[in-house]
Amino acid sequence: MSPPTSPNGAGSDSLEVLNARVSAARAEVEARGETFYQGASRVHLAAFPPKERWDDWVELSSRAWPARQPGHYMLVPTTCFNCESACGLLAYVDRETLAVRKFEGNPEHPGSRGRNCAKGPSTLNQVTDPDRILYPLKRAGARGEGRWERITWDEALDAIAARLRAALSEERHNEIMVHIGRPGEDGYTERVLASWGVDGHNSHTNVCSSGGRAGFQFWTGIDRPSPDHANAKVIYLISSHLEAGHYFNPHAQRITEGRARGAKVIVLDTRLSNTATHADYWLSPQPGSEAAINLAVANHIIRTRRYHRDFIRRWWNWQEYMANCRPDLPPTFEAFEEALAECYAEYTFEFAAAESGIDAGVIAEVAEVVAGAGTRFSCHSWRSAAASNLGGWQVSRTLFFIAGLLGAVATEGGTFPNAYNKFVPRPIHVPPHPKVWQELAWPMEYPLSQNEMSFLLPHFLKDGRGRLDTYFIRVYNPVWTNPDGLSWMEVLSDEDKVGCFVALTPTWNESAYFADYVLPMGHASERHDTHSYEQYDGQWVGFRQPVVRAARERMGERVTDSRQVNPGEVWEENEWWIELSWRIDPDGSLGIRQYHESRARPGEKLTVDEYYAWMFENSVPGLPERAAAEDLTPLEWMRRYGAFEISRGQGAVFEAEVPADELDDLRVGPFGRVYSAAQKPSDPNIVPMGAPAPDEEGRRAVGVEVEGTIRRGFPTPSGRLEFWSSTLAAWGWPEHALPGYIRSHVHPAALEPGQMVLLSTFRLPTQIHTRSANSKWLDELSHTNPVWIHPTDAARLGIDRTGELVRVETEIGYFVARAWITEGIRPGVVACSHHMGRWKLAGGSGGGAGAMMATVDLSRGDNGWEMRRVAPVVPYSSSDPDTARIWWSDTGVHQNLTFPVHPDPISGMHCWHQAVRVSPATSGDAAGDIAVDTAKAREVYRRWLAETRPAGQVSPDATRRPSWLMRPLRPAPEAFGIPAEQTISAR
Amino acid sequence: MSSELVRALAAICDAPAAAQAAAGVLGLRPPEAAEHTEVFVMNCPPYAAVHLGGEGGLGGEAADRVAGFWRALGLVPPAEPDHLSSLLALYAELCDAAHGARRPAVKAAVDRARQVLLWEHLWSWAPGYLGAVRELATPSLAAWAVLTRRLLAAELMQSAGPAYQAPLPLALRQAAGCLSTDDDLDGLLDALVAPVRSGIVLTRHRLTIGSRAAEVGHRIGERRFALRAMLEQSPAATLRWLAGEAGRWYRRHAAGEDACSRWWAQRARTTHGALAELAAQAADGAPARGSVGSGL
Repeated sequence: MSPPTSPNGAGSDSLEVLNARVSAARAEVEARGETFYQGASRVHLAAFPPKERWDDWVELSSRAWPARQPGHYMLVPTTCFNCESACGLLAYVDRETLAVRKFEGNPEHPGSRGRNCAKGPSTLNQVTDPDRILYPLKRAGARGEGRWERITWDEALDAIAARLRAALSEERHNEIMVHIGRPGEDGYTERVLASWGVDGHNSHTNVCSSGGRAGFQFWTGIDRPSPDHANAKVIYLISSHLEAGHYFNPHAQRITEGRARGAKVIVLDTRLSNTATHADYWLSPQPGSEAAINLAVANHIIRTRRYHRDFIRRWWNWQEYMANCRPDLPPTFEAFEEALAECYAEYTFEFAAAESGIDAGVIAEVAEVVAGAGTRFSCHSWRSAAASNLGGWQVSRTLFFIAGLLGAVATEGGTFPNAYNKFVPRPIHVPPHPKVWQELAWPMEYPLSQNEMSFLLPHFLKDGRGRLDTYFIRVYNPVWTNPDGLSWMEVLSDEDKVGCFVALTPTWNESAYFADYVLPMGHASERHDTHSYEQYDGQWVGFRQPVVRAARERMGERVTDSRQVNPGEVWEENEWWIELSWRIDPDGSLGIRQYHESRARPGEKLTVDEYYAWMFENSVPGLPERAAAEDLTPLEWMRRYGAFEISRGQGAVFEAEVPADELDDLRVGPFGRVYSAAQKPSDPNIVPMGAPAPDEEGRRAVGVEVEGTIRRGFPTPSGRLEFWSSTLAAWGWPEHALPGYIRSHVHPAALEPGQMVLLSTFRLPTQIHTRSANSKWLDELSHTNPVWIHPTDAARLGIDRTGELVRVETEIGYFVARAWITEGIRPGVVACSHHMGRWKLAGGSGGGAGAMMATVDLSRGDNGWEMRRVAPVVPYSSSDPDTARIWWSDTGVHQNLTFPVHPDPISGMHCWHQAVRVSPATSGDAAGDIAVDTAKAREVYRRWLAETRPAGQVSPDATRRPSWLMRPLRPAPEAFGIPAEQTISAR
Repeated sequence: MSSELVRALAAICDAPAAAQAAAGVLGLRPPEAAEHTEVFVMNCPPYAAVHLGGEGGLGGEAADRVAGFWRALGLVPPAEPDHLSSLLALYAELCDAAHGARRPAVKAAVDRARQVLLWEHLWSWAPGYLGAVRELATPSLAAWAVLTRRLLAAELMQSAGPAYQAPLPLALRQAAGCLSTDDDLDGLLDALVAPVRSGIVLTRHRLTIGSRAAEVGHRIGERRFALRAMLEQSPAATLRWLAGEAGRWYRRHAAGEDACSRWWAQRARTTHGALAELAAQAADGAPARGSVGSGL
């Protein structure tokens, strides 16, 4: 080894000295919150602007090329608002003009880790959209006429506050409703409503994910899974929606990591999705048969005794099952094993093959791969199958059945309950539970519904079950999103049913046209929110903020209202709700104001600064210390970095021993459920989960006894994983209390000759639910939704080539769209993406509003509604020169209008799949045409409603709903009781 | 364990911006961007595949072998798993992981992985590479090369027992064949630009020197093109210079005492012999045994 010959000194030092010198230098730099190894560095395997240069980041202008024109930017973090995963964004704010020039990923965000999908950077389109709503508007003509007048925020606030105050004073609490589309925050709106004493929260979840949620909740008491894809041996995905659309980015990047480490990916999706193209096994089943496949896999694991015996023995509620369902057998685990095998013996590979149309050998091969995963089995099912079929909730229940058999619950590479990997910080004020029950959202017919029966609202209003004095939609487009949208239009147009309709929205939409007030709210870079989502085994909190406000504050300015920095008079909801609540209760006499009042300055309004400063100082463990190390307040730290990781490696929380100070005056149930008289300690994390009922003497369910030790267990009635659901059994559905298979409403046996199944629950990963029309880049990427047809079906139906028009007939009408002949869909099934087919009414005076939507003529005749396209999208002049460059004209078809409601009688989920007839279009048909008979829609609604088992008939305890089940806004216990008149007949 | 020093050295060969702070702390003059580019882009691309692959290029089986090592550790291979910066960064991570391991079995496993990385994927090619960097007359990066070699040697010494006793690295055991007098011109060129076949690292910088030594015109282009032009202009002089290069590399490799160095020395020695024979044939105008001669 020849000695080094250094020209400048390194060679004279020992390696140890040099190492110590570098270590010290790095520590010193990082103590200042700066980055030692700067630039695009393989040392970090990433390339992002170093955070200490975020105040003045220099980039050359791409537009000035070949000239080298440097631009100076302030990099300000926020979070994306274009799906629910809240990926981190960095806004590049021009230091000279304070305009946002672009959005890129925030490397400090633990979930997205600096990576974004196309929707993130496209936030810039939404911010600069020439069609966006900039000022508060009030309806000038009749509802839906499309005439508006600009008003001040004060006028809007005073008028709406007066209505709300009157309703509350007259105890018409249930005439107030706020309907949420994209939540994008963790519970703020629910708490506003609670502060008003109103049970008026309505969500879109029953047209979205509640089927998937229900299956998980019946098992774990927590309604979402958190798969650890990156460390899995086998990744099992029912449908692609999660990994190709919603939550696309944070999960997709971890699936990619898992694959790189050798994980096998199994995808069940009738359609060849993006995810399916990357799968080791793509199974394209007959729609609705997914649970049958899951059960065949489960049966294989049981039959070959590859299940995790000890995990099941300790953590399944098998004793409760044996006591209630198999009293004929001894109450031993060995007897349970026999019963289990007996129970699922019928679900053979051949059975699954017959149901799914997939070769039994393929299913057997997949089952063997799954059985070999051990505790490294990550799985997910969200929409698609669970959101599409009668009994779809059993898809996720049978999926978690597999995870439970393998013991892959909260293990490395396994599947966690989401509450383990989510952190919702306790806010400054927590109002009490409202004392009323909203029948329009939580009707008696659906005591087990996972979420509000939101999509039935028009029918309930038509039934005369109630009326709405004031109805808010918030980043929501019910006419467009829901099935049977024309019924929505009918009730929203009827002032007797909806007295005042307020649209809080950043963009124009089909529903806002019928509003009385259209109030502009901010996009991702124009509003405050916090959020936390399950994306790996860790907990983080993200912070959305108005980025120009943060930039100005870094420059020393003081901003007290987001309207000071947002375009036009665009506001943010938090400040709006605070101001509105003060105007409802100006003197505090209604008891509302106190929940929107400053603690630091009693008698003054709470500001968003105080709200988040309090939260970050008091409810986010570790953040104050981390901020102090950089001489920042917690709020300043979050404004600077945008996200904070609280913990990593939560592990099996259910195994944790309950601390002694939580154990007092204990009572232990027959199957080990432990109740304690000790007060529940305050927890800064108020993440939603099931709330098991206390015992008769008011002791809370604190844990479960496992082999003599009291462990935390699961938030289920039994405290264990509920293989057998006492809830389903007691509330009228004993035949579905175990993981099982319910034949879909589109099962081949239910189809009439000539009918096919239409899949409508997928979208492209470059699309936002109802806001893509305001995002020009996304619109250019994908703007139409052809009907996928297999070549054999196309030949059979006489459809010669891609692009030909087809007519798709549903139960209540039809739509016309272009055909796409492809082998990417199973024969006998057609598919059409949602998110397309945006429209605006002809004759409206919205200016450029909705210019990237088709113009339609909508008329109502004796046979129902007809929508005819009168003008496609065309180039137009605006402040954005790109609008003159629009090269496409087709915007697809709004198929949801032609779907009747299909509420699952148990989960309440709308079952999206449709039995349809497909034929070549007739001579008068044009792309995008629609016809709907809403009278037929009423018949379908009544038919599905008749399948329910109402609480008034089945409730075991005279309540409307099992109190332990999750509910976004939970009323006070006294509101759960069924009124005496409804116990006789609930229908 | 000098993990932070390893990391700093990794940063220096990564990119100009990354090199600045690390070089300063080490007392090295931070290289200018142009110097960095001259060394790491124009002359000595720091990839294991270039030195261990049969074609002397990026990617291929040699790079896959390194990527497989990352995967075997349960890691996701980065975009360029065989870049010296990536390998040094990984080495630093393994040093830290071993240091932080609480269970002896884990520590032993991580240590074993670190030794394998050092022997199979760093020491198998880096000494020659660093030697080539050192002679590029870019003082700050020459000092980096010297320091990096010194550190790797020290790490090897520290784990000397098992490493020196270990079999040759797989990449060397399965290396493509040596340059041969039977090669035709294309075959000769292929072998000369692939270090693992010739035992020499032929940089653009050395080719410039070689063209002066052989008194031939230096045509600007990729190395194979420039070398072909040299051989076509004056085969005997060029082959003599190349033989001298091989001899120089033989002596450099032979200074090492470990199995890798011995392997590289042997390869350079074989190359030297073949080139000397070809040079003699070219000078005599004698018919060549192989087709190289006929092509010259």
